[in-house]
Amino acid sequence: MSEVVLELRKVTMKFGGVTALNEVDLVVKKGEILALIGPNGAGKTTVFNVITGVYKPTSGEVVFQGQSIVGIKRFKITKLGIARTFQNIRLFGESTALENVVTGADVHSKSGVVGAIFGTRRSRREEKANLERALELLEFMGIKKRAGQLGKNLPYGDQRRLEIARALATNPKLLLLDEPAAGFNPAEKVALAETIKKIRDAGYTILLIEHDMSLIMGVSDRVAVLDFGTKIADGTTTQVQNDPRVIEAYLGAPADAS
Amino acid sequence: MANLKASLNLRDKGAEFWERSPKWRRVAMAMSFIAFCYALPFLNNPLINTPGSDFQSVLFYPVGMYVLMAIGLNIVVGKSGLLDLGYVAFFAIGAYTMAILGTKTALNFWEILPIGVGLAMLSGVLLGTPTLRLRGDYLAIVTLGFGEIVRIFAVNTDSIGGSRGIAGIPTPPDFFNAKFTILDPKPYYWLLLTFTLLIIWMVRRMAARRPGRAWDAIRQDDDVAQLMGINTRKYKVWAFVLGAAVAGVGGVVYASQILSIVPDQFNLNISILILACVVFGGIGNVWGVILGAVLLAFTPERIRFLSQPRILVFGIALVVMMNLRPDGILPKKKREHFDPNWDTVEESGEGEIK
Repeated sequence: MSEVVLELRKVTMKFGGVTALNEVDLVVKKGEILALIGPNGAGKTTVFNVITGVYKPTSGEVVFQGQSIVGIKRFKITKLGIARTFQNIRLFGESTALENVVTGADVHSKSGVVGAIFGTRRSRREEKANLERALELLEFMGIKKRAGQLGKNLPYGDQRRLEIARALATNPKLLLLDEPAAGFNPAEKVALAETIKKIRDAGYTILLIEHDMSLIMGVSDRVAVLDFGTKIADGTTTQVQNDPRVIEAYLGAPADAS
Repeated sequence: MANLKASLNLRDKGAEFWERSPKWRRVAMAMSFIAFCYALPFLNNPLINTPGSDFQSVLFYPVGMYVLMAIGLNIVVGKSGLLDLGYVAFFAIGAYTMAILGTKTALNFWEILPIGVGLAMLSGVLLGTPTLRLRGDYLAIVTLGFGEIVRIFAVNTDSIGGSRGIAGIPTPPDFFNAKFTILDPKPYYWLLLTFTLLIIWMVRRMAARRPGRAWDAIRQDDDVAQLMGINTRKYKVWAFVLGAAVAGVGGVVYASQILSIVPDQFNLNISILILACVVFGGIGNVWGVILGAVLLAFTPERIRFLSQPRILVFGIALVVMMNLRPDGILPKKKREHFDPNWDTVEESGEGEIK
């Protein structure tokens, strides 16, 4: 079988008396698109925050490529190879689109302040390489002509695309997309689905939070369902679609049940 | 009206002219500006004269010194968005290093300079490492405290002169024909100007590369910066340390010119005034900051003939200016660029990635 990239083992996340995640197990395999779905407040974004180190889980393990990443600093987790986008877009609005992406590409650079001051050969080489990679990614996301515009001045859809480009720039082994299609029209959703598949086909592994069912059914290899912080289903799209517990979580229990 | 405003927008016009200029013209413009700066002490123009104080001295202190420190503080406040209210502490550390080593050892100015800068940087690390996890107002309070601690420490430590300070600080050795004496502020001004130009050059290099992007990211959204793989602690400490180094340079040069220092020269007012230069000129934009520092340092000297009311006039001028231009005289406004090469792609989904 294909290798496991990320594994959550009995992850529990409590905020005071509220249990946001309750012993969640989750496995993401290399090269797949795993969709994480669930009603509002089910804990999907909390899963992302636990994986990226924003929250430290109350208990449980997060294992990334065989290494526990609980308690590791956020920037180190990104360096290890996890990048994300945000549900409510969080670009660097005062920087240009290109700078946003280059900032992501900087992750693996070795040169820092001293290299920049003295303009060392390594610094110049890395600057050039990161710039080229950023332009490549902007082109890939179809927003190269926006390169020189400020992040905040981009149209809404392009801001979402730019966030993906910025995350890809860190060269992640696992890409977390938090509702990338939110606010998209149907045509844009179709295009985004194609883009997401292309990203997977380029060798990336994707964990996707989404509400749009047609998008999920179209792109995901597997689906995991969260409800009130508990994972209630995990499987192929058809398996999950027919799971009575999933139907109940989304539509409510039938009136004659019990 | 809008048209008039646009046509009066000299800032954008200037930047555009600069960008459209071929390299030889840029070099020529930069060279003539630098030459003008070096020639300033000889300029005897009634417009920029300072009746009531010696113009050449004013050029060194406060004008040159404020410009240098404002550029340094701009790395901290403007680039990385950390509010530092104790910046004078690093200036004091530079000045005291020059004073102590200059009077107690045989080291000369050029040998003390790197030590002073190094000590200022070290204190930047010591202050920055524990406190830079604080944000916004909290950081401001801690740095404010640090600035006062350094001054009060100097007042209460008799071995470094206590409140009487240190006198008899040696001047720098002669540099070719330039003789550094108390009577002639010109060589000091040129020395300071040289350091300032060097620092501007360094800051511009950093701003265009990875550290600049990291600071931009941290200033805009600290959390996202971390999630994009930026070691925010490290870059914040770097900003602090580089700012401290610039103030350290200022301190060493200052002490070697004024020959005797007392702790009360390094009071909170200096920190606030330098911060005012940065804000007044335009946070984050090095040219705005320089202009702000020049105006804030020069104006009180220029209107010295008003004697008593001059600080009042100065204060009113500041308040009026900040109302007219709340973002500063030359605000940092990243201009959008359009490279024709970026427009080659027709629609989304083109291109491949590795």
